[in-house]
Amino acid sequence: MNIQKHGGKIAANSLVWGYALIILVPIIWVVSNSFKRQIDILTGKTFAPFTWSNYESLLFSRQSDFLGNLLNSVIISSIATTAVIMIATMAAYTLVRLNPPKWVKWMLLGWALFFHMLPTLTFVGSWFIMFSSVGLHGTYFAMISTLIVMNLPVALFLMVTFTEAVPVEIIQAARMDGCNSRQTFFQVVFPLVRGGMIAAAALVFIFAWSDFSVAVVLTSKDTMTVPVAIATFAQEFEIKYGEMAAGSVLSMIPAITLILFGQKFVVRGLLAGAVK
Amino acid sequence: MKHETLKKSVRTTAFIAASIAALAVPAYADGDQPDISIVINQSPWLDSFISVVDRYEEETGNKIELDVTPFGGLLEKIRNSVRADVGTYDIVNVNALWLTEIYAGGFLSPLTDIRDGYTLAEGVLDYGATTHWNHETNSFDTSADLMGIPLNGNVQVLYYRSDLYEEAGLSAPTTWDELAANAAALHEPPSTYGFVPRAARNAVVYNFTPYLYSQGGSVFEDPASGNFNVTINSPEALTALETYLHLTSEVAPENPGAIAQGELIQLLATGKAAQAIAVIGAWGNLENPDKSAVVGLINAALIPSGPGGSASAAGHWVGGIPNNISDERQEAAMAFLDWFVSQDVQIGYVEAGGVPIRGDLAETSIGSDDRFRFIEAYGQNAANAVMALPLKEGAQVSDALALRLNQAVIGEISATDALNAMAADTLKILTDAGYEVTSLSDL
Amino acid sequence: MSNSIGMKSGNSQSGKRNTEKANRQWLWISIAPAVIFLAALTIFPIFNLIGLSVHAVEWEGGKAVYDYVGMRNFKDLFAQDPVFWVGVKNTIVFAVCAVTFQMLLGFSMALAVSRAGQVGRGILTTIFLLPIVLPPIVIGAMWRLLMGRDFGALNGIVTSLGFAPVDWLGNPSLALASVIFVDVWHWTPFVFLLILAGLESLDQEVFEAAKLDVKGFWQELKFITLPLMMPTIIITMVLRIILSFKVFDEIYLLTSGGPGTATEVVNFTIYRVFFGQDRVGAGSAMSIVTLVGLVLLITFSQVIMRRFRKGASV
Repeated sequence: MNIQKHGGKIAANSLVWGYALIILVPIIWVVSNSFKRQIDILTGKTFAPFTWSNYESLLFSRQSDFLGNLLNSVIISSIATTAVIMIATMAAYTLVRLNPPKWVKWMLLGWALFFHMLPTLTFVGSWFIMFSSVGLHGTYFAMISTLIVMNLPVALFLMVTFTEAVPVEIIQAARMDGCNSRQTFFQVVFPLVRGGMIAAAALVFIFAWSDFSVAVVLTSKDTMTVPVAIATFAQEFEIKYGEMAAGSVLSMIPAITLILFGQKFVVRGLLAGAVK
Repeated sequence: MKHETLKKSVRTTAFIAASIAALAVPAYADGDQPDISIVINQSPWLDSFISVVDRYEEETGNKIELDVTPFGGLLEKIRNSVRADVGTYDIVNVNALWLTEIYAGGFLSPLTDIRDGYTLAEGVLDYGATTHWNHETNSFDTSADLMGIPLNGNVQVLYYRSDLYEEAGLSAPTTWDELAANAAALHEPPSTYGFVPRAARNAVVYNFTPYLYSQGGSVFEDPASGNFNVTINSPEALTALETYLHLTSEVAPENPGAIAQGELIQLLATGKAAQAIAVIGAWGNLENPDKSAVVGLINAALIPSGPGGSASAAGHWVGGIPNNISDERQEAAMAFLDWFVSQDVQIGYVEAGGVPIRGDLAETSIGSDDRFRFIEAYGQNAANAVMALPLKEGAQVSDALALRLNQAVIGEISATDALNAMAADTLKILTDAGYEVTSLSDL
Repeated sequence: MSNSIGMKSGNSQSGKRNTEKANRQWLWISIAPAVIFLAALTIFPIFNLIGLSVHAVEWEGGKAVYDYVGMRNFKDLFAQDPVFWVGVKNTIVFAVCAVTFQMLLGFSMALAVSRAGQVGRGILTTIFLLPIVLPPIVIGAMWRLLMGRDFGALNGIVTSLGFAPVDWLGNPSLALASVIFVDVWHWTPFVFLLILAGLESLDQEVFEAAKLDVKGFWQELKFITLPLMMPTIIITMVLRIILSFKVFDEIYLLTSGGPGTATEVVNFTIYRVFFGQDRVGAGSAMSIVTLVGLVLLITFSQVIMRRFRKGASV
């Protein structure tokens, strides 16, 4: 029995760390590429002369404004994510526990799903026309609003799932203590779905950050985001692997920082003892 | 939540105000023309174009703003600008593949409308008449309106390794058979491939064009005069396709049907490709020690000829002036374009790493400069530049042709079946679009 | 599923009325932002799409000309489009395989991490989330290099083990599998994150209480964990299926739909037609047909999951 358990543990561990390796190795390779010359990347050399030229070209060349692009991405993605999660969580609680008219729930979730299943590319043209006609092309507002609406379906569905997991007894207890709907939401439900919110926020942030097809059309030179900037390295007849790698490394830093930071908030067994 | 909304509103207002302010007044610099804005893609030759723009600003005092976009987003930006009521860009840099769409859509002003009697200067290449458009026949026609000035002359040339040629005692091939023979002599996989085709689905039509036209074949009977009868399944085309397939199956890397631009340049730059037909725009990369292992070992030549002569597919860029901008800006854009074509400027362009749009530079100072040893072959190939699909439905036809060609390359269908299917598909696309055309009977 | 809380608080009549009023207000205020965003930004585009699907749009003289063609775009699709249906087949294969692997891998890793110690948990979570943090375009370009026939690192490993190099992306029979591999590498973190969040929010008391009845890892998994995690699993799966149908960046950079039609997927076909060929009518029709197919696929998978759920519950 013990040997079986032990063997099982070893197998499980190797699986986990094996998978971790499969993830890490290509990423380390990309990071190393950011310090190599293109010919060394093309010939697949593991060890090659070290060079800063990719970062120089990325940060200081005449046509690039990468740090500005990073800032744009941070601003746009953060605002969009915060807004989406708040909107979705509020709406989720109401839809799930406050018994709105049936048609409201079906319309909202149904329409969101319908919208989510259609390809984004087909909407970009319409959005461009809409925003240009009110003179908002190339503004933060245009990008942020579009990102909010694009990620709203995912956020809604996730928050609905997480909110449904909050036991009804807790809500009832809050009502008995004299809370109205709004108070119940902010003081009772909100802290309990925090773990889910963090997870959903992480995903939404990543989606917002990585968006290319909308950003390329709706942003101008001043509001250009990181994915568009990195895409300039995938050119008509050359992919500038070195600069692309450098851009990726810089682009990963905010996201990794958030992950390390955000882990503090995901606490195990949040609901334990809550019913009591 | 309220705090966010407030912050957002302030930011929004600020941006709206700034955007309106920016759009309101056309800015004038020291020169006598208003500032203009050009939308252009990131590319290896962008730096050379920037140096030319800098020079223009210095010489004339007129300012030019460049909106540099990834290639994948450029067409969308051009479309959005030209389709709007008021355009954002004063010169749009249109790729050869998109020219028919932009011309046929009626978005550009003929240059003669902006400057009476303007013509292309002697020595400037027209790349298969692509600088002109005939609105009646809906095709390229040098006798019709001049619609744009080329900004970059990217055509195909034959690349070869001069060191490998020297070793094996070979010389630049003038016919397809000679090319195949050279390839066989140099083919030693996996260290060296005799010839590398670019047969991936998104590139094969472009790659196949020289073969087709050099045999005297073509996709349509006489596009310039509006005759779009389908002639892709002719005996000449079959010879061409068989030549192509011989190369892809005998002296090329395995799975040529997956080789796209990236792989082709990679094989050339790392030294594994002995010969290839590729765009001259790659020259700069191949001569850059940071990007190439074969610096100084590459040369360019005229693409082999067949009974129909030698042909080169045009992948160049044309600068057009949209008709939804003010007259002053149109005039300013025209001033730049006119300045751009002079021989002196073009020489500077080449020296900065660009591909010139004139075919008469071989006799100038750069003709004897070893760094630019591609100039003569480039001029020759550019003079033979053709556009295989000079019609509005070009993109759709191209996708249909590409599918069959690619399937032939990977061996899914035979050459004859491929050509017949191509003819049938093209015929259907054209008749659905309202053309009254015929096709040849099946091979 | 939703329970109405009928009890009202407050002792006085006016207190009750105020609470009712506040509750009604809250009901609409909380939904309003979502409704406003969706209404403002999706109604026009979606109706535009539906409208386009029954038209053919041409541009002449700088203006758009809309030509009503009825169901022709749809008929053309069903009649003889050689590429679209291959794309549908590939997309279904792609979605099913990729999502299955992502779910299995993501779930196992989430389970492992939730049981790990503090330090291991932090390190592993960060590592496991890295792939989705990379820009998609870089993932495509990077794997294209790694899987390259002549210089790719994968073949470097293969040849050092004594085998002949494999053309992972160029060989028509391998291309789709390679693309699926990259997609699994890219998106497993999505599943991992959601399942982990779900696991972390489970009430530990249930596990404590069940310790008397179930013995061992697998029993706990089958009878407690899985049933409790079902809602999270289902929503994750549905979202992953939808997103698989929308896959674009990987295909574009890895294979562009080739070789032949081996990796042609629906979203890529739509991109080519709608955007590349500028045939917005036909492209819109394709989007709608794809939507219908997607709805069917999801409904089908829901039915399967429900059967599975019935079998697994205690």
